[in-house]
Amino acid sequence: MSLFFYSFFGLIGLFLLVFAWSARNPRGPVPPSSRVGASDECGRRHITYLPQIRQAFAKSDYEFLSKNASRDTVRRVRRERRRVALAYLSGLHENFQSLLRMARVIAVLSPELDAVHEFERLRLTAKFAWQYEMIRWKLLAGVAPVPQLNGLSDLVSGLSVRMEAAMKELGERAAVAAELASSMNRRGLDVV
Amino acid sequence: MDEIVTFERVLWGFMVFLNGGLLVLLVYRKNHWVVPFFFAYVLFNFLQCFILFGSYRIWGFNSPVSSRMAWGTQIFVSIARALAVAQICDRVLAKYQGIWALARRLLAATAAVVLLYSWAIARGSWQFAVLNANRGMELMIASVIVILFLFTRYYGVAVEPAIRALAAGFFLYSCFFVLNITILEGWMYDYAKLWNLLGTLAFVASLLLWNWALSRKLPDTTFEPVMLSNGVYRAFAPEINDRLKTLNEHLEHFCRAERNRS
Repeated sequence: MSLFFYSFFGLIGLFLLVFAWSARNPRGPVPPSSRVGASDECGRRHITYLPQIRQAFAKSDYEFLSKNASRDTVRRVRRERRRVALAYLSGLHENFQSLLRMARVIAVLSPELDAVHEFERLRLTAKFAWQYEMIRWKLLAGVAPVPQLNGLSDLVSGLSVRMEAAMKELGERAAVAAELASSMNRRGLDVV
Repeated sequence: MDEIVTFERVLWGFMVFLNGGLLVLLVYRKNHWVVPFFFAYVLFNFLQCFILFGSYRIWGFNSPVSSRMAWGTQIFVSIARALAVAQICDRVLAKYQGIWALARRLLAATAAVVLLYSWAIARGSWQFAVLNANRGMELMIASVIVILFLFTRYYGVAVEPAIRALAAGFFLYSCFFVLNITILEGWMYDYAKLWNLLGTLAFVASLLLWNWALSRKLPDTTFEPVMLSNGVYRAFAPEINDRLKTLNEHLEHFCRAERNRS
């Protein structure tokens, strides 16, 4: 038997797996916190605690603790920093998903798409998903060191005003579309 | 006819009964106007059963004439099958002009690549030419359905449960057919009898699924979404991609931190 002969089996196995994954019913109704447009509120929440978070992640803060606090305290601080890093990671993920949902709604409702933009988004999504899972598992396992999180302020303050306003408007439309889609899924039928 | 063992005869009878039942169901629920190519496919299948039954009675199960009749009629059935799958794709995505245009190109490219792959690795002898052509067609159908469902998943497009079941019926039978022919190619003589039986069983399973899916009337038209103007996509797609890129860079910050420490 040749390798090609077995490649048919591999291909069909792959098809069956992908089909089982993609033909499942989509997820239930979108939770309010993860809806498009919620990222603004999430960003504002980050801003509220930004000074404290930056302080907690400052190198000088950590060095000061190492010199003056007990080993247990340092260990506890490290654990808490890891928890904050995970929360930050989850915030990034939430932002990413929110943008993706918006992009998909725009794509679905657009009469013409550019394949380059669509494939670029797919590439970015795959890259993000891979890196996100790798880092998350490493942090959970305690293998990865906790970063300084210097980019946090850029994340919450680097959004352009024009984008924010326009995104908010599109977010409202997307939320309506998501509601419509989830109500259709609940009924298990398309709207006639 | 005596060559066909009793169990196969019973199974064949059950298959013809289900096929006929599906035709009646399609007409009774007036679904034949909604999915005409699927109706044509089921009709061709039904007619093929009677043609084969007649030829087996006259010329015998193992005669070359019966074999030619079987593969000759299979061409029409396969074409109707491919058209029925194309209609499913159209039904699911056509109302979304943008993604349908993109999906059409992708589906056509996938179908062409899969057909080429199938031909390239098939055995060269004429003995297997018809089988290989059929396998290529079924592999193409399976890949098109997978891509279609990946599209609907990625863009969050809702698929009617009945249409999903029709596609699942086509997909499972196509997968089974490809595996079956591949095994047949490898162990031709030992496997030939079992090949017929398993093929019939797989088709019966698809028929059961289709009968269940079409037991209700399908809506004539699905809802038409209100499209955004073209400018919205052109303005936002690059900006959203830029923001996604920024978020990826933030994530890379974690990786960089890790590398710097190590």
